[in-house]
Amino acid sequence: MKMSASSKFITLKDFLLELRLYKTGVLGLAILIIYVLIAIFAPFIAPANPNETELADSYAFPEWFSIFPEYRNLPRNVFIRVGYKDWSIKSMDEGISVNGESDIVMIVVQCKDEVAVKSVTLEYEFDYNYDPPKRFSGKIPFEVTIYNALGSYARIKCFIITPKRRVYELYDSMSIAYNLSRFETPASYDARDIYLKLKLGFSPHDDLGEKILNEKGTYKLRLVVSVLAVKGGGRIEVKLGVKEFRVYGRLYGVLGTDNLGCDIFSNLVYGTRVSLLVGVLASIISVSVGLVIGIIAGYKGGVIDQILMYFTDTLLFTPILPLIIAVSVFIGKSLYLEIALIALFSWMGFARNTRAYVMSIRDSMYVESAKAVGASDMYVIFRHILPQLTPIIYITLVMRVPGAILLEATLSFLNLGDPSVPSWGRMLYSARYAGAFFRFMWWWIIPPGLAITFLALAFVMLGHALDEILNPKLRVRR
Amino acid sequence: MSTGGGGLLRYMGKRAIDRAAVVISSLTLQFLLLRVLPYYVLGIDPSFFFLNPNLTEEQKEIIRRQFGLDEPLLSQFVKYVLSLLTGQLGFSFYTRRPVYVELMERLPNTVLLLGTSTVLTIILGLIIGIIAVSKRGTRFDASVIGSSIFISAFPLFYVGLLLLLTFGFYLKWFPIAGSVSRPPPRDPVRYVADLLWHMALPLTALLITSVGGFALFIRNLFLTQLGEDYVVTARAKGLTEREVMLKHVLRNVLAPVITILALEFPGIISGAVITETVFSWYGVGRWLFDAAMQFDYPVVQAVLFIQVVLTVVSLYIADIVIAILDPRVRLR
Repeated sequence: MKMSASSKFITLKDFLLELRLYKTGVLGLAILIIYVLIAIFAPFIAPANPNETELADSYAFPEWFSIFPEYRNLPRNVFIRVGYKDWSIKSMDEGISVNGESDIVMIVVQCKDEVAVKSVTLEYEFDYNYDPPKRFSGKIPFEVTIYNALGSYARIKCFIITPKRRVYELYDSMSIAYNLSRFETPASYDARDIYLKLKLGFSPHDDLGEKILNEKGTYKLRLVVSVLAVKGGGRIEVKLGVKEFRVYGRLYGVLGTDNLGCDIFSNLVYGTRVSLLVGVLASIISVSVGLVIGIIAGYKGGVIDQILMYFTDTLLFTPILPLIIAVSVFIGKSLYLEIALIALFSWMGFARNTRAYVMSIRDSMYVESAKAVGASDMYVIFRHILPQLTPIIYITLVMRVPGAILLEATLSFLNLGDPSVPSWGRMLYSARYAGAFFRFMWWWIIPPGLAITFLALAFVMLGHALDEILNPKLRVRR
Repeated sequence: MSTGGGGLLRYMGKRAIDRAAVVISSLTLQFLLLRVLPYYVLGIDPSFFFLNPNLTEEQKEIIRRQFGLDEPLLSQFVKYVLSLLTGQLGFSFYTRRPVYVELMERLPNTVLLLGTSTVLTIILGLIIGIIAVSKRGTRFDASVIGSSIFISAFPLFYVGLLLLLTFGFYLKWFPIAGSVSRPPPRDPVRYVADLLWHMALPLTALLITSVGGFALFIRNLFLTQLGEDYVVTARAKGLTEREVMLKHVLRNVLAPVITILALEFPGIISGAVITETVFSWYGVGRWLFDAAMQFDYPVVQAVLFIQVVLTVVSLYIADIVIAILDPRVRLR
């Protein structure tokens, strides 16, 4: 069982020259290079951070769906930021002053001899020309400071006015009679808030977006700041930061969004990294372990061989997937534990092969001659055995990767992967459990699986080509 | 003849000891990974997962003692091995019912699904593989090789999901979950029909992922034999290709085929975990997965034990069958 390919030393250039003759090998290498490039340049290819939620409405359709008439008018993301220069002052009572520093609106009321309520109304107009959205939300950063005027208060309200002049109150701060800063944690409202729905007289099951933003035209955001000033020489200041208003789009990105509003395409791009990492690392570890154990068992023979093979058989007969599932549930979810487990349970076959090869080489005449002239064990292993194993090491390294990739995907699909790492298996897990099937969101379900398949296929094709190049026995046979 | 029989018996005895030793060491490995490692690395004790935190320490201690969790790990291990080997599988932490009873509820479903798929895989794989090797070099052969390599790159769960999406959710031809309708039909004929209807998609998923690889394996195995002298002789006798394949080559490649089938057994059962989880099939694989998720140690350990025993027994049977078929093996 001598491997005749071992005698020829192959450089990378020789190898590539020979690989050219194998169409599948070239194809496999090409696909692999594309995947590696995607993995390396993921931050530049992916339009968003894969773990960032609420990029658009949940379950948004891909943006290119707008070529179909029924999706053309679905809402896109609308994101409005209203600073000092954008507001127009609609009405203002005497004794109230409105100034601005960059984006911040500064409203000051100087206390006089009488108790008085002063208010100012700010308005901002925007056009909305899509179908009604499901969800919108807004943020109002503000700060109330009361100087030397105990008993005074400020109150901030936010309204939206539809083109048909219906007025909805979205936010009411109630009376604030103390110093309060909400710049860091802005006051906010959300169309998903059940209390807001009830306050506006809708059922908890209604989508406020559909009820309120149900016409095309010019909407107005109105902010009313009213201040009660007590008698005396005090002063009340209300600072308004940049008010945000956003409509969550139902058309987003290349592949839409998932149940949390994460960008599916970005997850797909970043998933390349974990698959490649797990596949390559697990394959390297498992081949190294198998090589060491196979060489020791085959070269030493005797009791050591029997113990090592007994250990190998034990692992070989242990049901791998159920045990990995149990261990990763009991110990915890981590990427490196996953890699270690996959490697731990996949070196046995290679160890047995290596052992058989090493045994046949060990008993050959030239090894005996080398020993007769005083070669050490290490010399024989590194000089005579390892070089003969190189082709099979290369082939196994490549052929082990698809198995590891598929196993990683399976574990992630069972939600046993690292939850902080975007992976194709986990995308399919969330697709399954977040209702992508009921909504028939094929753009969420099909791409991750195809990505897994083509990556695995690239390694398989490359492996077969390697097999034919490095293993001349096969060439004769076919 | 008598010496031959004695050789077989001695071989069987030696093999039985080897295999039993593997069962014990596999149990040790499982105990190390599932109990000792979590306990010493993370300080997790199984009682942590099922004890009501509102109980007093005394009550907790009583329950721990009931499950034998207060003893040192080594004596727990000895008890665990002994009780498993005597067939006592213990009580589920979660349902508090005997593991054996729960197992028996689910086993028929798994055996039905995987038994059918295994038998069909063997039959279809043999047929396709032999046809491919008889027509080697033709377009059929190339397409068998190509499609089996292509399909081998598909994860099983993804094939299942695609089948569910197409035939379950979109076309609505097949049910999307479960192993029988609720309520189950009374009429036996309709019950069987209902079961088959539920089995169609999981069975297809299993077949798609396993037939191609097995056919390719058969094809390559036959290919190694075609240059042998006995094949040349058989052809020279004027036998048809079909007779050469089925009467001469098949008998000679049977040993590796049987071994690979026996070795596929754990793969088939781990396939059950995926298939049963994807299709919500009421069987042992999904039970194991759910039990692991609920930290139900007795169930997990019992199912793993049963799988090891099944694997080892099937390999043992394979050994014996090979030894009967090929007397040379016994002498090794």
